[in-house]
Amino acid sequence: MLPLSLLTTAKGQPMLIELKNGDTYNGRLVSADTWMNVNLEEVICTSRDGDRFWKLKECYIRGNSIKYLRIPDEIIDLVQEEEISAKDAKKGGKGGRGRVNTSGRGRGRGKGGKGKGRGRGDSGGKAGGRGGGRGGRGA
Amino acid sequence: MASKSIIDLEKCIDKEVRVKFQGGREVRGVLKGFDQLVNIVLDNCVESMHGASARAHPDDPYRLTDKTRKLGLVVCRGLQVSLVSPVDGMEEIANPFIQHSEI
Repeated sequence: MLPLSLLTTAKGQPMLIELKNGDTYNGRLVSADTWMNVNLEEVICTSRDGDRFWKLKECYIRGNSIKYLRIPDEIIDLVQEEEISAKDAKKGGKGGRGRVNTSGRGRGRGKGGKGKGRGRGDSGGKAGGRGGGRGGRGA
Repeated sequence: MASKSIIDLEKCIDKEVRVKFQGGREVRGVLKGFDQLVNIVLDNCVESMHGASARAHPDDPYRLTDKTRKLGLVVCRGLQVSLVSPVDGMEEIANPFIQHSEI
């Protein structure tokens, strides 16, 4: 369960966002991106001392300035359902892809040169041209 | 990973918006432009001041006062922007949560 997938699942749900400066924003989540920037609508803003309130139609909050988000408990079930269905889809569609390769090599990016190619080889950060790739995608 | 900013201020162009910055400053002005990094161009920009309120509210020096100053045409640096919202439809209201806590 990833924080951001939780957040994207929570689209359309009401939530509370507290910013680093202490202001809180209650509103319905319209969209969120990979930086946790969010769009809210039907927002109620509360000042940091909690004694002044504003209504906003919508607002854009930069992920950078968020301290935390409180989201409805039900989302956790939704995410689990989505994870399961995503897994099923994978099995049905692309099943078995890459399973033959059990060596844990290959599939890296390597272009021959040193230091290229990604992957998680245990060569300690020096995953060389050959890749040290992800060794298949099996379940 | 699809990484595209979700900022959608197109509908606010030529309308008045409020921009809050990290550090507590706050301005409003007519939105003239923006980019994916949330750099923002504001015309007729006015800053709401809070520095002078340190005496009035020593416990909360960030509290805004009615004092303002004119800045004119401004480019807001995206990195410092923490919140953008249209001024239209914004109003101060009484505590909307109080009934929940009293029941």
